Order: sequence, then C-alpha cells, then structure tokens
Amino acid sequence: MIQLRDVTKEYPGGMLALSHVNLDIRKGEFVFIVGHSGAGKSTLIKLLYREEVPTEGRVFVAGKDLTRMRRREVPFLRRRIGVVFQDFKLLPDRTVAENVEFALRVTGYNGRDAKRAVAQVLSMVGLKHRAGAYPGELSGGEQQRVAIARSLVRNPDILIADEPTGNLDPDTSMEIFRLMERANRYGTTVVVATHARHIVDSMRKRVIELRNGTVVRDVRRGAYDD
Amino acid sequence: MRYTLVGYVFSETHKSIWRNRMSSFLSCGTTALALFLLGVAIIISLNLDYIFTDVERQLEIQAYLKMETPDEEAAALVKMCEGMDGVAGVRFVSKDEAFEELRQMFQDKAAVLEGIENPLPASIRITTLRAEDVPKVVEQVKELPWIDDVIYQEEASRNLAVLGRVTQALSLGGTVVVGLVAVTVIGNTTRMTIEARRHEIAIMKLVGATDGFVVGPFVLTGIVLGILGGLLGAGLCLGLYNYLTESLGKVLPFIPILSLSREAILNITGILVLTGVAVGTLGAALSLRRHLDV
Ligand SMILES: Nc1ncnc2c1ncn2[C@@H]1O[C@H](COP(=O)(O)OP(=O)(O)OP(=O)(O)O)[C@@H](O)[C@H]1O
Ligand SMILES: [Mg+2]
Repeated sequence: MIQLRDVTKEYPGGMLALSHVNLDIRKGEFVFIVGHSGAGKSTLIKLLYREEVPTEGRVFVAGKDLTRMRRREVPFLRRRIGVVFQDFKLLPDRTVAENVEFALRVTGYNGRDAKRAVAQVLSMVGLKHRAGAYPGELSGGEQQRVAIARSLVRNPDILIADEPTGNLDPDTSMEIFRLMERANRYGTTVVVATHARHIVDSMRKRVIELRNGTVVRDVRRGAYDD
Repeated sequence: MRYTLVGYVFSETHKSIWRNRMSSFLSCGTTALALFLLGVAIIISLNLDYIFTDVERQLEIQAYLKMETPDEEAAALVKMCEGMDGVAGVRFVSKDEAFEELRQMFQDKAAVLEGIENPLPASIRITTLRAEDVPKVVEQVKELPWIDDVIYQEEASRNLAVLGRVTQALSLGGTVVVGLVAVTVIGNTTRMTIEARRHEIAIMKLVGATDGFVVGPFVLTGIVLGILGGLLGAGLCLGLYNYLTESLGKVLPFIPILSLSREAILNITGILVLTGVAVGTLGAALSLRRHLDV
C-alpha cells in the first residue's frame, strides 16, 4: 500500500528532514511513527498525501508513483486518503454534518447518497446526536471525531494522522485511537505520527522510530521506546 | 452519486456573493461606474461621428473655374479631382446650375434677377473623407489649370480635425484607465474572498477537490459581478442620456443630438455587459494566479 524507496527530503534552505528512508507498509496495517521533535515525522506524513515531494527517491501510495504524479492527478489520490491533524481543521461556520458533507460536496457528490454516507459515518464516530452543532460547541475530542468522520466518509484506503491527540487529554486520546483502530479493522490502512507514549505502549502495533531523518527502529507489536 | 461541478459552483457563487455582500456591492458598484464611463465614451463618440458627418458635409471645397474654360476641360478637371487622395465626392456645378442656385436663394424675390446675364462661373465642389484631408486636397486643386479661385473653411476644418483626434484619444485612454481600475477592484474583491476562505480552500485541497471546484466559484463570482456591473452601468448611462436628450431637446432644439436607436441601445448594453464579463474574469483570474497556487 505504501512504499518509500531511498527517500531523501531536503527543504529549501538546506534542512535535511529525511535521509535515505526505506519503508514498506502493507494493506490493512496499523503503524505508529514515533521520534523526537524534528525527527521528520510530519515530513514523512506529508510525502504520503503529496503535500511535499522528496528531493531524492520514490514514494508509492496505493499503486501510484507520487514522485511522477501530475498535478491534476493529486486530487484523485487524496480522495483515497483520509488525513487528520492535531488542529482538526474544521470549518467553524458549518455544522458537524456540513463539515463532513463538505468532503463529498467539493469532490462532486451530493444528494441523498451523500446525506446517507454522512449519517452513517457520524454514527460510527458516535456523534449522530450532535450533527447540527457547530464545532465551537464541541469538546476537543468531539471535534477530532468530526475530523475523523470527514476523513472516513469516502471510505479511504488509507487513514493518515499527524499527532491527532496533541491537543487532547489522555482519556479522550484513547477514544480517538480506538476509533482509528476500528477503521483499521474495517480494512483501512492507518499511519499515525504521535508522541502519545502510553497509547503506543498499550496498543502494541507496529512502531517505526525516526531519529534525525532516518529510520532507527521498525518493530511489530512494539513500544514507544525500545 | 452525481458529478455536479456546475451545481456546486453556482450555489457557492450565490452564497459567496451574499456572504460578502458588502465587498460584492462595492466591486459591482465600481465596475458599474467604470462601465458607465465607458458607455458615456461610446455615446460621446457616436455623437461626435454624427456631428462630424453633419459638419463635414458642409466643409465643401469650392474650386471656381475661369469663365472661358471649355466644357471638355472642365470634365477632365472633375476626373482629376476624383483621383486625388482623401476625396469623397466631386460635383460639377455649371454656370446655369450656379445661377439656378442663386435664383433659389432669392426665392420669391427671384424676379430681380430677370433679364440679368448670368455672372457666375462654373465650379467644382469637392468633399473629403475626413476634415483633416481638406488642406492637402486644396493644395493639389490650386495647382490645376483653369482654376480661378479655391474657397474653403481652413480654420474650421483644422480645428475639427484636431478636436476629433483629441476626443478619440481621450475616450480611448479613459476607457483603458477605467477598465484597469475595474479589473483591480474585482481582483481586490477576489483577493479578499481568497483570504477569507484560505482555511476552507486548504481543506478542499486536502480532501481532494479539483482546481475547477476550488477556483470555479471565484471565477463565476467575478463574471456575475461583471455582468451586474455592466447592466447597472448601461442602465445608468442610457437613462442619463435619455434624460439629457429630452430636457436639452426642449431647451435647445437646434443642437444636433443623436437619438439612439433600439439597435444602438442593445449594442451599447451588449458591449458593456461583455466588457463587464471580461473585466470580472480578468480580475478574478489575475488575483487567483497571484494569491492561490492553482
Ligand atoms: N517547510 C519547511 N521548511 C524548512 N524546514 C522544515 C520545513 N518543515 C520542517 N522542516 C524541518 O525539517 C525537520 C523535520 O521536521 P518535521 O516537521 O518533519 O519534524 P517532526 O518529527 O514532525 O517534529 P514534531 O514532533 O515537533 O512535529 C525539522 O528540523 C524542521 O525544522
Ligand atoms: Mg510534526
């Protein structure tokens, strides 16, 4: 599902964020990306949905070579990838349901099928009863669940999250990770960059550790530290 | 599930104009003002054309022939005049016709001319294509044989030519300046909308919206504002002109003012609306190119 081949990413200005990274993530896997601040986690995540392109090497996602992808193909790649961030990225002037439906509307889908898909995914994240609320009326955890609902409404092949619980307390964080685990059980490949040590330790998934832009550890059923 | 770019763009445009009704109103108003000025320029130039053709018709060069000029020589002279650059029409007026003109000028008192032998020479009357051609043609006519005297309104024709050129340049320059202002204003409105929607646009791109969905509403908003501005500008300048012709016509009935035909009104409206569309599209497109990575 995801392959990185000898990937190096140097930002303009000479900052080397990733250096000769090789990685294979198979369909249906659940993967934690850990590492100290500045290790290159966010950079790696950005390569996966083609927010950034590598300076060297190749990135394959869902069978596509992202390094050779044309600009106008990018939207179609992103429709197969759900992305979740620490800051939720919700639209404050739209309701919960409208925020989720937004992902469908701006990609050309509306009508009754869209409404049904929204209702379905909202009940999956447990927010059906808040469908008419605005993000400002929700707790941080609830807002992140809306963001997850939006990222899942198209049934993506991959769910990517960059510190999804950075703004949440431990209990709420656990709920969010349980939700992602649930999506993973339905077949979605999940890649999460996180600092949430206790959750990584308790969930026992594959852990990839980055240090100064290189992979220093890659273990199944791993922990936050080795 | 239906693919509905058009539906999406229209509903977003409608919402975006309403949501930003203040700046929409502003840019629509400025565009209307710009196109109003363009409309005024068009109407002025139509009127100048109308006045000039009227006056130019009176700017006839009169070349008087010597009394003894034989008829066949006169005919040859007419041919020569017809061949000159800038000449629109040549008319030969014989001695008899000149006398008839005189008789008509005296009208009911024509009796005083009875029994008088015709004192008038034959003449060649020349009209030019443009007022500024007059001096050049006069120079050539003076060189011809059998010509006794050439009469024309030198001052008037020079002034008219200059006035014509100046107004043309002014209205053209005004149109360009005013058009640029309108493009800038629409571009600015687009930029403000982009700034207000940066967050939303980022999310659109994140969830896989194509460029059409991202820029479509902006471009259509520009076009709609341009159309509204064009209609408003056309209504303003046509209404004002109509009012002026009616009130001026009563006070100063002898002033030559063109009354616009239905066709002219439709043409002016069409030109203004199309210019509005061009202005709106250009303003939106330039702004999108500068402020959005598409
Ligand atoms: N757009 C950018 N331009 C220049 N340098 C950048 C850019 N983004 C990141 N970097 C640099 O690249 C390195 C890796 O950054 P990255 O954001 O990938 O780290 P991270 O592992 O996500 O850190 P954190 O845990 O703090 O989020 C850092 O040194 C950072 O300063
Ligand atoms: Mg980061």
